[in-house]
Amino acid sequence: MQQVTSASKPGRRLWKSIVLHRYLYFMLLPCIAFFIIFSYIPMGGLLLAFKEYKFNKGLLASPWVGFDYFKAFFNSYQSKALIKNTLIISSMKLFLYLPFPIILALMFNEIRSKWFKNVSQSILYLPHFLSWVVVIGLVQRVLAPDTGLLNQFIAKLGGDGSKFYMMEPNSFYQIMFGSHLWKSLGWDSIIYMAAIAGVNPDMYEAAKIDGASKFKEIWNITLPSIMPTVVILFILSLGNILSAGFDQLYLLRTPGNMQLSDILDTYIIRVGLQGGQYGYATAVGMLQGLIGLILVIIANRISRKVSDTSLW
Amino acid sequence: MSRKWMKFMALPVMAAMLVTGCSNNNGNNASNDQASDGANGGTNNAAATNAAANATDGKPATWIADRTIKGLIFMDSDDYTEDMNPEIKAEIQKRTGINFEFELMKADHSIDGLIAGLAAGDLPDFVAFYLNNSGRPEMPVVLKAAREGMFTDLTPLFKDTKVFSKYLQDDFLPSDTKNGVMFRPEFNGSTYFTHMNIDRNGGQVTWRGVGGPYIRKDIADQLGVDPLSIKTTDQLYELAKKIKDGNFKDDNGAPVTPIGPRFWGGREVGALFNDLEWGADDQRIKQTKDGKILHEAQTDYAMKKVEYVQKLLKEKLIHPEFFTMDESRSTEGAINGTWGIIADMHSYQDFNQNMRYVPLSPINQVDGPYQKVVSFKSGYSAWAIPSTTEKPEDIVKFADYLASREGKLLWKYGLEGRDYTLDANGNPVVKQEVIDLKAQDPNAAKALGFAGVGNNWGDILGSTDNDNKADFGEVNYGDNASANQFPAVEKIAEMYGLDQQIKDARVVDAYQPTAFLGEFANGTELKTAFDTYNDSLVQAYYSKSADEAKKILDSALKQMEAAGLDDYLKLLADKNADPKTKVLVE
Repeated sequence: MQQVTSASKPGRRLWKSIVLHRYLYFMLLPCIAFFIIFSYIPMGGLLLAFKEYKFNKGLLASPWVGFDYFKAFFNSYQSKALIKNTLIISSMKLFLYLPFPIILALMFNEIRSKWFKNVSQSILYLPHFLSWVVVIGLVQRVLAPDTGLLNQFIAKLGGDGSKFYMMEPNSFYQIMFGSHLWKSLGWDSIIYMAAIAGVNPDMYEAAKIDGASKFKEIWNITLPSIMPTVVILFILSLGNILSAGFDQLYLLRTPGNMQLSDILDTYIIRVGLQGGQYGYATAVGMLQGLIGLILVIIANRISRKVSDTSLW
Repeated sequence: MSRKWMKFMALPVMAAMLVTGCSNNNGNNASNDQASDGANGGTNNAAATNAAANATDGKPATWIADRTIKGLIFMDSDDYTEDMNPEIKAEIQKRTGINFEFELMKADHSIDGLIAGLAAGDLPDFVAFYLNNSGRPEMPVVLKAAREGMFTDLTPLFKDTKVFSKYLQDDFLPSDTKNGVMFRPEFNGSTYFTHMNIDRNGGQVTWRGVGGPYIRKDIADQLGVDPLSIKTTDQLYELAKKIKDGNFKDDNGAPVTPIGPRFWGGREVGALFNDLEWGADDQRIKQTKDGKILHEAQTDYAMKKVEYVQKLLKEKLIHPEFFTMDESRSTEGAINGTWGIIADMHSYQDFNQNMRYVPLSPINQVDGPYQKVVSFKSGYSAWAIPSTTEKPEDIVKFADYLASREGKLLWKYGLEGRDYTLDANGNPVVKQEVIDLKAQDPNAAKALGFAGVGNNWGDILGSTDNDNKADFGEVNYGDNASANQFPAVEKIAEMYGLDQQIKDARVVDAYQPTAFLGEFANGTELKTAFDTYNDSLVQAYYSKSADEAKKILDSALKQMEAAGLDDYLKLLADKNADPKTKVLVE
């Protein structure tokens, strides 16, 4: 009897708390409903990765095929190249790209002219609102052989000016990274600027009194202060390590750079969905998610051990 | 009046009606005989009027049922408009009782929409989709749906129809449509999809257009070159060099590029490189003289072509973005005269009705002089009736009505009086104001709601058993009105010797080499490897050296072999040996 009473106590306490803060909980309801409807229920579709979908039987009644799709993917001659390409591109976007928005945020923080700051921020945020179709269209025009801006500039300097950059495998990573940087840099710096704004100004005052230079202030105060934000965002980004960005890569892909630009996302669309193989596409997509989840868990554990920052 | 007298009165009236009916038909000239022939499935306008008069219960003979028929169309074409013209819609309902509606399910790729629609399972009275041949990517999808009982067996429903009953005859359908698409042996006489756009007669070439590479006429004239004398890629190379050396300018004063891309945007163009092309450029599979079926990558032609294109690129004789240019830029280049040679276009292009560009001769083939190949018949697009549809016979009857001459007249020409008049032979003569409206405001014309003005709703169910010349006395919409919409077409056809080419053409009734990928165990992998090869070929064109190009092509060949190329080629040889499944490899 004693046990039952003690077991029911936390439940009763929770219930009392819910009743007490009922309006707050009520406000939470739409959010919970949203996630259940749009995030958790669709997860049931992952069953497709293990089923041979029959139009007339539906998802649940279709026969199981076990790990056939996963085996088929790993047996495919393309799987190694696809995984390799995906990892290279996403790693570039994850590791190589990481310092750029931080540096930009630090630079913005040091601009004293409000007018110049506003104008330059607006200019740098703008590309975020352009679709990849427009951005890649611009890239193609700028890099076009003979008629492109870059080639014409090279020709003016006495060069050949006929290089077809979009067809050159050697230029692919630069184009991919450059266009990603151009489009995302400004927008991604916002969150770091918010973190910088949260740094206690007293620390800067104290540093100044101690004779710290601007660089020392940034290195010893700003960067350590925003480090938790950087780590959290990095851990979250790891979840997408096998999703290198479909839109950009799909549009950048040409016969010339295809051995570098073909990634899992484009493969899923091309072979899985356009080929009508939903199960196969689901299996490959599920792999992306699973590997991302495992990496997030590992990175979170490491981060918790070596620093005080972690997701949970 | 007693019953006896009624009988006596009725007899002369019936005889008079019969004579009147016959004399109306006899008024038509020979060109219309075929149309009025019941065996051809066509019923001319006069016959339709009589039929209406003979109808019972106040309903015309074409009456089907008082119901709504709704379709879901998995095609991304702009040729279909869901909002049908109300007058046309009312006319359909007046004649058949059918309230016809359809919804377009547009997607980036029509097959995505089709798969999603089938997977959702909530289908209306009929579905329609692209299906050029049994090798088209949609085929495995609809085949799977048919095997899983999603569609109604149409064979028994065709038996009582005028037009679609022809599909049950031995010699009407082309081989691929018959054995690969519709009456597959596994279905034991049943059929679940209706392949459309089958011509009434085999080997019939009704399109008067000339497709292929074109050259700017003023350039050819200034160079003193007869465009029809260019029959090899070596001659093409020499011509391109002359164009470059001639320093010609386009409309904006910019230098002319000797060889520009297709009118519709950059990509590989087989017609320009025929004597270096192994099989059609979308197939790349062909038989050697000793009967061995090979893929292009297994022959010397791949490297020969790479070397040739590299030479053109290096000497700036071909546009550097020839294979990738977007449509708007390539079209703009054609209109501005920027391309000395347009890699591919046809004589119906509006911009060229002044004949600024004239056709080059077809380039010879790898194994001899060019010879036109004409399909015995070929199909395009298909429809099916879901097994959940009630009274599927109504949909088949409605499709049969739309495929009849009367139905075709309605959806191809619109309404008599409003959009056309009938001449003494009963053939439609399009009104000049409709032609003018089409030229001045194509969207307003399209709202009139029929195929002639660009609204092709009717061909979804009704375009088959086609023979415009026999049915309407003209091959193309508006020809009878002498509207001269495309004045260059006949001139170019004559200049090109089109009639002679058609006369000398080889008529084939065969499967495309990639048509069996759907039944090949490793079909998906191999299809991907074929696509990779196509990309690799373009990649090889842009490689730095012949060695690098060779490595790229060898790697693509290895991928195809890993995906089962040899087994597939063996399967093709087996299929080709079967008279029912001849493959186009010669």
